[in-house]
Amino acid sequence: MKILLAEDEHDLKRALVAVLTHTGYDVDAVENGAEAVKFASKYAYDCMVLDIMMPVMNGMEALSKIREAGDRTPVIFLTAKAEVEDRINGLDAGADDYLTKPFAIGELIARIKSLTRRQETYTPKVLEAGNVTLDINEQEIKCENAVRLGVKEAKLMEYFMLNKGKMLSTDMIFNHVWKDDDDASIDLVYVYVSYLNSKLNAIGSSVMIEGEEGAQYHLVKR
Amino acid sequence: MSIYGEYLPALKDVMGRIVEKIESFNAYYQKEYGEPLYEHLNYRIKSEDSMLEKLQRKKLEPTTYNALVTLKDAIGLRIVTTFVDDVFEVVRLIKDLEFVHVVEEKDYISHAKENGYRSYHMIIQVTSPQKDILGHQPGSFYVEIQIRTIAMDSWAALEHQMSYKKDIKNRELISSELKRVADELASCDLSMQTIRDLINRS
Repeated sequence: MKILLAEDEHDLKRALVAVLTHTGYDVDAVENGAEAVKFASKYAYDCMVLDIMMPVMNGMEALSKIREAGDRTPVIFLTAKAEVEDRINGLDAGADDYLTKPFAIGELIARIKSLTRRQETYTPKVLEAGNVTLDINEQEIKCENAVRLGVKEAKLMEYFMLNKGKMLSTDMIFNHVWKDDDDASIDLVYVYVSYLNSKLNAIGSSVMIEGEEGAQYHLVKR
Repeated sequence: MSIYGEYLPALKDVMGRIVEKIESFNAYYQKEYGEPLYEHLNYRIKSEDSMLEKLQRKKLEPTTYNALVTLKDAIGLRIVTTFVDDVFEVVRLIKDLEFVHVVEEKDYISHAKENGYRSYHMIIQVTSPQKDILGHQPGSFYVEIQIRTIAMDSWAALEHQMSYKKDIKNRELISSELKRVADELASCDLSMQTIRDLINRS
């Protein structure tokens, strides 16, 4: 699981990175909203934790920009205790949860877990990329033709479509799609990418998955 | 008197020639690659009754000309392959035959019909030593060829059953289920092809 953390208070940031990493998360830590927007546009995350009060660009503005770009990754924002207004605005801007400072780090981890567990319910039912639509309930990809996908294929396609243009490593894909399968092999990633490419091709898709076996993949225009 | 007039022997001969060619492709693939090009091959000359019925349905006079030239499926072949790429391999091989001219092609695999039907259709003109109905010698005769995978073929058989049944309960539901299954089978065909490619790569 990969987390983007934006926090300008140096000590708090260092402590959060240490604990989250120790818990097993992969953390990218940045210092302001502008950097958060930049990282979010480049890399895929399972959850983002944004501080509201930050220099250069505050967390609220960053969140709006991230959501405008079509990114639906769960976001938790961190706010000072008194600012009710901030909490309302943050949730309105598209945050999924908030924590007031000071907070117990155990609670932050619990909220991250809860949000990533429920992520499925937040994503829309139909996704688009190029001329392809993915109907998540029907597990169907369609443009000139339609084909039905298997469960893992649909999940993989969804992951690519939610992270258009971003490089996704074999590890990240494996951890996202096969997170509940203890005995799955990481070699499946390439096999499933191959399935999807042959199916995208067969429906006359304008997008395909590009990448080297075992390395990084991304969804690109043909 | 046959609807095919004096041309029935020529039709049989043309069918024999094209079938022999396609069977020789299969033998070559078996020998060269250790697996056949297709799973099975069916062929027929449309029966008198079916031809007369079709002429009537299309509001055409029951003449030999209409049976041989206006309608182009007096001779019909169906080639059923195991893998989807082999469909296109068969198409390529047929196109390359020197006595064959492709008149019409419909790729219902890349562009499935609304109901989910998938198959590759070709109408070809075969040059043959016999005189044809227009008086040309060597003459030319039409052959309709359908090429598809085993999965597409089973699906078509099921769809055929439904379309010929008059009173089906829930026809709409059955149709939409058939469409769904067609898209699932297409997906399986592609997965099998991908696995085959992965095996051959290593």
